[in-house]
This record gives sequence, C-alpha cells and structure tokens, in this order.
Amino acid sequence: MYDMSHYKKNKNIVKDVAMERIQRLFELADAEHSSNSARSDAYVSLARKVGMRYLVRLPRELKVRYCKKCGSYLVPGNNCRIRLKGRYMAITCLKCGNIKRYIYRPAMLPEPLADELV
Amino acid sequence: MEISAYNLIFHELIGLFTEVINSNDPSLKKIRGKVVGETRNMLIVETYDNNEKMVPKSGSTFLFHIPLLGGNSRVTEQVKVNGNLLLSQPENRIKNIRKIRMR
Repeated sequence: MYDMSHYKKNKNIVKDVAMERIQRLFELADAEHSSNSARSDAYVSLARKVGMRYLVRLPRELKVRYCKKCGSYLVPGNNCRIRLKGRYMAITCLKCGNIKRYIYRPAMLPEPLADELV
Repeated sequence: MEISAYNLIFHELIGLFTEVINSNDPSLKKIRGKVVGETRNMLIVETYDNNEKMVPKSGSTFLFHIPLLGGNSRVTEQVKVNGNLLLSQPENRIKNIRKIRMR
C-alpha cells in the first residue's frame, strides 16, 4: 500500500539536507576566501544551484554575502564596500562594480514621556 | 538534518577529510586529504603537500571522516563509501534520497 505520509516526510528531509548543505558551503567559502578566492566563488555557485534545484531560499544574511552579477563571495573590507545611504544600504562589488541596494529602517527611538516634553 | 553515516551520500562532501582505500587505478590508492571540489564523475582532493588530485568516483572506494559533536572536536566517524553511489552531479545527489527508504 502506498503510504502518503512517508512521501511527505521524505520531501521535508530533502529540503533539510539542502538547507544544511547551503549553510555548510557558505561556511567553507568564508574559510577559503583568504587563501583561494576562486574556490570560495565556486562554493557559492554550488550553494545557489542547490537552492534553486530544491526550491530552498537563501536566508537574508547569506543573500548579502555574494554578488548577484558576477557570483563572487563578498567580504567587506576586501572585495566589497558597504555604505549606509539614508534609507538603504548599498553593497558595491569591487570586482565588477555592481551595486546592490537593500532598504533598512533606522532603529525606532522610544517615544518621550509626556513630562519630558515640557 | 546533520551529516551522518546514513545521509552522507546525499550530503555535502566538500570540506570532509577523505582517503582513497581502493581504486581500479592502483596509483590513486593512499591519496589522503580534504575534498575541495566535485564534478559528476570526479572528486577533487587536496593532499597535504597542497596538490589537487582528481579521483574518479567510479571504481574507487573512499573512507570519509565525519566530524562528530558539531565539528568542534577531533572525534570523527569513519565511513567507507563505494564511489559508484556518488555518481551524480553534486546538486542532484539529494534527489536520490526519495528512492531510498529512510529509517
């Protein structure tokens, strides 16, 4: 008899393994970048392929770590420049010059109390 | 799902320590080092003297060292893998998990 629950369980396992592989590859890319940057770019490209194949989204903190145009692994202070420009953060890849902008909201300050306003 | 002996052939091989314990090509035996790359038919192993060796997956037997306790210790689990089970593009290997019943 075909067991549907078995299939669903396996489907989750596939995404779990894919997510873990992506995170592992980014860790390795970080470790290899100083000695062999071409290799860390290759790891990022493999991580993106895994994500695309199994419909796993890269988490935001990993998304800002590579250049979407040339695919290189970005390390602030080494091959990318990060500037806060008012409402957005601009990440410039120093290899190809591509600028990626991410909107951010400044931290909300606590509202002043009524007696402090006087 | 953490890497273990049960899901090693679907998991990331890059970064693991490996040694070739048997191969159709006897000159590839005793290659030891870290896996730094993977293609459909080959594993790229970086040996201790910083040479990159291409080892074909088919016809080889690998001994992988899986770090235990979250990779923080030197304790490793050693898993012997028939290279023919790894014959697939690295991003396609996870798909085979559906064909094998997980227990």
